Amino acid sequence: MYIREMVKTGTTTTIELAVSAETFIIAFIGYCIARFRLRYKGKTKALKRNSILLLAVTIISAWFFIGTLINYMLETESGLHVEFEMFSERVSIFGFSFAKTSVLMWILTGIALVICLIFRFVIFPRFDPDKPHGIQNIVELAVEATENFTKNIVGEYSTALAPYMFSLALFMILSAISELFGCRPPTSDLTVTLAMGLITFALINYYGIKKKGIFGRIKGLAKPTPVIFPMKILSDIAVPVSLACRLFGNMIGGMIVMELLKSVLGGYAVGLPAVAGLYFNVFHPLIQTYIFIILSLTFINEAIE
Amino acid sequence: MTAIGAGLAMLAALGAGLGMGIATGKAAEAVARQPEASGKINAILLLGCALAESTAIYAFVVALILAAK
Repeated sequence: MYIREMVKTGTTTTIELAVSAETFIIAFIGYCIARFRLRYKGKTKALKRNSILLLAVTIISAWFFIGTLINYMLETESGLHVEFEMFSERVSIFGFSFAKTSVLMWILTGIALVICLIFRFVIFPRFDPDKPHGIQNIVELAVEATENFTKNIVGEYSTALAPYMFSLALFMILSAISELFGCRPPTSDLTVTLAMGLITFALINYYGIKKKGIFGRIKGLAKPTPVIFPMKILSDIAVPVSLACRLFGNMIGGMIVMELLKSVLGGYAVGLPAVAGLYFNVFHPLIQTYIFIILSLTFINEAIE
Repeated sequence: MTAIGAGLAMLAALGAGLGMGIATGKAAEAVARQPEASGKINAILLLGCALAESTAIYAFVVALILAAK
């Protein structure tokens, strides 16, 4: 499954390149002169405003010039050209076919494992329990925040759940960071998010049965009236699907928006995607991580109540 | 026709937007009334927004499945 749109293709000519280069050079010289006058002729308000204006013009023309240069050198198409696959493309390793996101997930898991081992065997023994300093403060802050957060919602089972939630957050943040390096993040694959949702589903039922027993859990589903029993079963089954679809939809939505932006800008995609990526690739995944964790904990709390 | 269907599926975003707007407005009112409870209100707001957003996300996934053939 893929979307492919091609609206127009344009080629950059030498004249465009020359015009943009001239604009950039003239604006830059103007800015230099303005700074020079500002330094030797005193700081008046009009001169300051002029220099700021010229700086803006210089930056815009520099962006335009770099974009035109990239278009000219690489012959990129400055039209709408989006290619997007619902499921990741596959690679074959040792004769087996794997999705690229799965391979990236193993790499990220390896990175997380290495980080954990370094922390366990190199950094933890150096910690001073009486006088925390440096990285110890950060680690203690993170662990304590996770434990308090978990304890506030699920109470007694937080000793087992807090580490799991912390590792989940670590994995999701690592996969969000991997998107910044141009990879397709593992969380934008429906299979990965569905696996996470199924783990949450298993945890909900495990803790529900542990707390109240099998009959207590079934009785809890028919709590206000027995009439809503089938609906409760249905809504329980919908929990992993909804968690998976929420994360998947958000991640892939951000990815598509960024791809669209890059394709529309073509060679001019210098600097601007980084600003948009701050929202779509950094802020949004972090919010989704928080929401995934808080929803998992809320559903577990609902089951043990 | 599938493109029209995908576009129609995204009409669900209307309800999600309305719901999130109302929730955020109420949260702003609550914070204005009781600024010291802003932490708890924030947590509830995020949870409610996530639940309200989920309909739009389902619509988005349906639209993707329709459009990406």
